[in-house]
Amino acid sequence: MDETYDVIVMGTGLKECILSGMLSVSGKKVLHVDRNPYYGGESASLTPIDQVFEHFKKSVPENKYGRGREWNVDLIPKFLMANGQLVKLLIHTGVTRYLEFKSVDGSYVYKGGKIYKVPADEKEALATSLMGLFEKRRFKNFLQHVQDYNVDDPKTYKGVEPNMVAKQVYEKYSLDANTQDFTGHALALFRNDEYMAKPCVDLIKRCRLYSDSLARYGKSPYLYPLYGLGELPQGFARLSAIYGGTYMLDKPVDEIVMEDGHVVGVKSQGETAKCGIVVCDPTYAPDRCKKVGQVVRAICILNHPIPNTKDGQSVQIIIPQNQVSRKDDIYVCMVSAAHNVCAKGYYLAIVATTVETSDPEAELQPGLELLGAIEEKFVSVVDLLEPIDDGTENKIFISMSYDATTHFETTCDDVLSLFKRITGEDFDFSKVQHTDTETVE
Amino acid sequence: MASRGGPQRPNGASQGKICQFKLVLLGESAVGKSSLVLRFVKGQFHEYQESTIGAAFLTQTVCLDDTTVKFEIWDTAGQERYHSLAPMYYRGAQAAIVVYDITNPDTFGRAKTWVKELQRQASPNIVIALAGNKADLASKRMVEFDEAQAYAEENSLLFMETSAKTAMNVNDIFLAIAKKLPKSETSGTPQPRQGVRLNNEQGGQQSEGGCCK
Repeated sequence: MDETYDVIVMGTGLKECILSGMLSVSGKKVLHVDRNPYYGGESASLTPIDQVFEHFKKSVPENKYGRGREWNVDLIPKFLMANGQLVKLLIHTGVTRYLEFKSVDGSYVYKGGKIYKVPADEKEALATSLMGLFEKRRFKNFLQHVQDYNVDDPKTYKGVEPNMVAKQVYEKYSLDANTQDFTGHALALFRNDEYMAKPCVDLIKRCRLYSDSLARYGKSPYLYPLYGLGELPQGFARLSAIYGGTYMLDKPVDEIVMEDGHVVGVKSQGETAKCGIVVCDPTYAPDRCKKVGQVVRAICILNHPIPNTKDGQSVQIIIPQNQVSRKDDIYVCMVSAAHNVCAKGYYLAIVATTVETSDPEAELQPGLELLGAIEEKFVSVVDLLEPIDDGTENKIFISMSYDATTHFETTCDDVLSLFKRITGEDFDFSKVQHTDTETVE
Repeated sequence: MASRGGPQRPNGASQGKICQFKLVLLGESAVGKSSLVLRFVKGQFHEYQESTIGAAFLTQTVCLDDTTVKFEIWDTAGQERYHSLAPMYYRGAQAAIVVYDITNPDTFGRAKTWVKELQRQASPNIVIALAGNKADLASKRMVEFDEAQAYAEENSLLFMETSAKTAMNVNDIFLAIAKKLPKSETSGTPQPRQGVRLNNEQGGQQSEGGCCK
């Protein structure tokens, strides 16, 4: 370990692994360490199932859940938007070669105590009881405009200036409160209603991402990797290794060594590796982070699919905050043996939301009620941490904790922002073309 | 982007069925894992082969009667050095070559550990071959042929001593693996591709069906 590196990355969560890969590809000499003996940190998929029980300090039931190795249990639930930034990163770095994905069967939205399928095509849109006939027509006009909208071309504005707030746009199309809820939360995937008072470009961009993602694989805009989300950090770690990155798991970190206000190395087990830049998750530099909130998550093992989802093998349900008198949405993500994450006959659902009260678990109730009988439930409340500075002075670049969103867009925003702070340049998606499948030399 | 695998070698595409298998290399650093692959895939040998950089995986085909066996060969990318190989590496592997250096008994001990690891982590019907590499350095031999062969028999492994430098037994060991792999229409892969592979095309759904098409 007594060597000099350009960058030392600490923690093998998804963000750190993507950055490690991007930095190795761009020619930096990278050392990547993790205190755990496995890849993934918070974004690992735990396996075998005993590890899940141990993680939550519960005793392991005997012979109940089939072969333990068939389980790969995510700690943080997320899906990939088929046309989102993570998919672009996977394709442009070639990491997609190591992975296989499945399209998520269906996306549902909660309204008035019931769940409704978010229409995936015109036929479903015509048939849905989510909104009345006239509302459907108004909504269709809105979607059409979103599809044609181009920020760079004022001719497409048709009275909707980019700085007009989202609420005004809804009003312009006379969309009712339910449709607004549906659009903002189930399509644009906003976590709360703060967007209503903000410029509408973001709303339009997000609706576009949803429909473009839907157009790619049909059933829903979401993808999920076989064997669990923990495959993603492993894939990017391999990319980094292929480009010369050095990997050390099970490596405790004692200290970030500073000199004149900036980082000069990392000390571990009596040795110091020198470096000019450190990239890490908040748990490696807790004194340089602040708490900005909390997320509560309940990982539930079911022995049946979620009721009223046509026995979907993978499902997302969004409970918009207004529907249950909250400020933040509640999300349900469910995957199953079809994704090689659990034994046959079982289903893994995670219910999550941003904490608003002193009884976080109770806040999940509307989501838990949708699941039917629950075999096993593991609840965690985790702090959301954020770095206190942007790292450009001390050269310690710290990622943010994974938030409650059900997809990877904010994850990628953070990664791209970190990349820019680290290198001074925007990450150019078009520039990174792995040359060929066979060999990259 | 291109999907997995690259252009077919001319000798492979003509007739019969094509089976594709994932093969992983394991073994201590510097036993010659990459050299074996380079010899097999490109017919090259470099005395001072650098530690593995840049090769995601290489492909090479072997012809057996009416069947073309296409190996997708995964190198460790150096992640074995500090015992940091990811589970993804073994995932879905149908064959493995565990390599040791006949001049270094420690690497033989380590090879046994890898075999155990494969028996624990990899799919149960994986075909494992043990390769005693650097056979050209027989004057410095520290691991006896008989000892390794006995160990291989006990554990139902294919076994050969190889030399990436002289090419001795390099093609042969891959060929032996190819012969041992199941090649029927259904058993080509333990788990036929079940998911979608991402690519750049709009609406580019691409699901490959199994191995033998």
